[in-house]
Amino acid sequence: MYRQAHYDEDFLIDYNTGSDYLLEEENCDLPENMKRKSLKLPNLRSFDVSRHYTKLSEMNYSVDVGMYPLGSCTMKYNPKYNDYIASMETFTDVHPMDYGMNMQGSLEIMYNLQEYLKSISGMDCVTLQPSAGAHGEFTGILIVRKYFEMRNELNQRNEIIIPDSAHGTNPASASMAGFKVIEVPSDENGLIDLNALDAAVSENTAAFMITNPNTLGIFDDNILKIAEIIHKNGALLYYDGANFNAILGITTPGIMGFDIVHFNLHKTFATPHGGGGPGSGPVAVKSFLKDFLPVPVISKNEGGYFLDYNVKNTIGKVSSYYGSFAILLRAYSYILKNGNDLKKNTQKAVLNSNYMADQLRKYYTIPYKKLKKHEFVLSTENTGKRALDISKFILDYGIHSPTTYFPLIVKEAVMIEPTESSTKKEMDFYIDVMKKAAFMDSDAIKSYPINTSVGRIDEVKAARNLIMHW
Amino acid sequence: MNDDELMLKSLAMGTFDDLFSDIPEELRVNMDIGKPLSEQKLIEKIKKISGQNVNMVKFLGNGIYDRYIPHLVDEIISRNEFLTSYTPYQPEISQGILNALFEYQSVISDLTEMDVTNSSMYDGFTSLGEAVRMAYRVNGKSEILIPENIYRAKYEIIKNYVYGLNVKFVEYGFNKNGLLDLDDLSSKINDSTSSIIVENPNAFGLIDENAIRVREIKKNALIITYYDPISLGILKPPGEYDSDIAIAEGQQLGIHMNMGGPLLGLFSFKKDYVHKSPGRLIGLSNDKNGNKAFVMTLQAREQHIRRAKAMSNICSNQALLAVAATAYLSILGGSGLRNIASITVNKSKKLKEKMKSIGINTVFDGINFSDNLFHFDKIDILKKKGIAGGIKLSDITYMNGITDASFFSVTEKTSNEDMDYLAESLRGF
Repeated sequence: MYRQAHYDEDFLIDYNTGSDYLLEEENCDLPENMKRKSLKLPNLRSFDVSRHYTKLSEMNYSVDVGMYPLGSCTMKYNPKYNDYIASMETFTDVHPMDYGMNMQGSLEIMYNLQEYLKSISGMDCVTLQPSAGAHGEFTGILIVRKYFEMRNELNQRNEIIIPDSAHGTNPASASMAGFKVIEVPSDENGLIDLNALDAAVSENTAAFMITNPNTLGIFDDNILKIAEIIHKNGALLYYDGANFNAILGITTPGIMGFDIVHFNLHKTFATPHGGGGPGSGPVAVKSFLKDFLPVPVISKNEGGYFLDYNVKNTIGKVSSYYGSFAILLRAYSYILKNGNDLKKNTQKAVLNSNYMADQLRKYYTIPYKKLKKHEFVLSTENTGKRALDISKFILDYGIHSPTTYFPLIVKEAVMIEPTESSTKKEMDFYIDVMKKAAFMDSDAIKSYPINTSVGRIDEVKAARNLIMHW
Repeated sequence: MNDDELMLKSLAMGTFDDLFSDIPEELRVNMDIGKPLSEQKLIEKIKKISGQNVNMVKFLGNGIYDRYIPHLVDEIISRNEFLTSYTPYQPEISQGILNALFEYQSVISDLTEMDVTNSSMYDGFTSLGEAVRMAYRVNGKSEILIPENIYRAKYEIIKNYVYGLNVKFVEYGFNKNGLLDLDDLSSKINDSTSSIIVENPNAFGLIDENAIRVREIKKNALIITYYDPISLGILKPPGEYDSDIAIAEGQQLGIHMNMGGPLLGLFSFKKDYVHKSPGRLIGLSNDKNGNKAFVMTLQAREQHIRRAKAMSNICSNQALLAVAATAYLSILGGSGLRNIASITVNKSKKLKEKMKSIGINTVFDGINFSDNLFHFDKIDILKKKGIAGGIKLSDITYMNGITDASFFSVTEKTSNEDMDYLAESLRGF
């Protein structure tokens, strides 16, 4: 039986064992009005810091503990060789403003990763600078903006179209870059409604942002028609790469007709997600958008690799330096290690997803087309129970629950993405727990989880009586 | 039959290809990115590449610093339970990271003496962009006052972040001592001023006495202070001089340089603005049994709920590095941080003395924190002598007037021998 640790652990500030960090006492001269009067920081031995975090870690679920089928998050195994490589001092000790000749190794890694991402996506040019997927979206939309600005069409093209099944970051990124967001409904198959799209597209459209397969895990085979509608209108087609794990090695956004793509390296390319980040969100474009990329890009000439600031109509910078190098490095080594076998990961991820969907269809409604890609969405409505209750019940078995209440177009949605890392045995167990949940008493299920560090949490209280400091 | 075959069979499928029958033939590709490698070969290849990086004696800083990182910091953030977890969307099973992030918020709020700190942003520069957007949401005003010596990269990022807003930038100047010019700034503050960006230490590397006096002239504008987190071991914190929003790059707090990423954006603010703030917030509540329990709170501000009307599009943040920063500050404690900050100021002082002794003078008199600006532009000599440093002021700012100025930066790791070597190498040039 699963039982997660629970400690009544003090806050760091409540330990008072005295810091044992040895430093010679030193003072400096400062004007009186600039001096800090008092400084309240934790004051404890390193040993206590170590114990504190060890205890906290035991109260945290992770992909190294068990299955983590969060839809749209691609929680696959994060190979440890990547962490070793990222810890090499020859990489960690590089200062971003060092001479180019001192960072040839790091630049080569970045250059090679750019090349890999181009091949994998069927696009022409890449920037590694964005810090996360949403940041990549924002960067992509700034490129859209600059493109139309240079064509003197920006005043007119001030709308971005987004399907109602889209990730929340899509409308948020579009809106942050100054565009009006137009939402189009999905059709009865959960796909883009071509008539609705036709009606929504106008001389005001700057871009259409979608992911394919979409958030229902369904591949939209009308994609070339969609690209045609958008391009005929003079607008651009944006690919949200969150679902790349469904297509890697099978098809590419490039061949589907997309103009701009972002990647989530912490999803598709197995970099660890660190409890919420850091991620990394490179952006790839077709060659006609090359001149708008952020600077610098990494280029190569007879002298070696260099930070290339020669981008004619660049949108400027989007990150402090050149991107999340330690994450880029892990993604690079993951791609280099797996090579063409990455396609096998895709196949396995899609097999796992279809297997789970097929089994769970016995107990839950799974709307739309039968053949799924890397993830699928079921509704708990037919069981008379809420997705929330089902998800809390699952936790009790030492397995992480899926994404819930997303996408918004499915009622009581549960979004499951097993990834290629899940074994049949794990999935069968998961399916069994989901089955139990479906047949649980509607009231009794509300008492779960029981075996996690804490039981259900009063979220309303947290929001009403805001405590964000010890 | 192996498991894959069993699963295919249960789906009434013959091969993997059947799983992709929905992808039209014309969209299929033949990816060729090379054969898979053994782990041993992989490591050999990567080591060969990394061997091309060269580690010179460093006097580099200007935002990223080579500080000593206690091993325990790396040990903590290498724990799989933190490293390989996702955003804590299921709080009951994720109390560890939630607790750790709550402590991060607390320790940064204590360090800055600000009311609230969010649970991290991408980096210092983008946080500044988000801060300007936040100030605009708070007061709806259109002018942003910005120091004329601000790093170009910061300015470019802020401009990108406000691209869609109806705002304009007004630059304010610095006096002959390299400190913020209060008269000039005052003359530019009016009813349309949304926010004033103040840097301390400023972009010349100087501890700026005038920065803490902006409160006297701010009128109704919001003060956004960009600070150096190590400097707060000795300097008056932003909360004490009425900063509305306080921003910093947190790399110095236990995070390796890694060629400038991933970094950590520290984002703190007055509590009145919490509903207008970007990023995730961790709140303390209790579970149904009365246990202390943490959750992500006020999520209605965020993209996954509010979509186009969200305060920001940020989703993934820098959670793991926020844990590193908390561990770093906890290991050092107040006395450790105070000492490191003092050592930094004293090393800067020593460097200036040594440089002066060989005839290289600072551009401004004053107290420097890590970055020291000298009249010097012979970068080729540095390269020849194996010294990395001498970042030119005109390369990283818009200050083209001072053409021969460049930076040499120090940390507690900069040794006397390093400084002697620098001075010896530059003697006579």
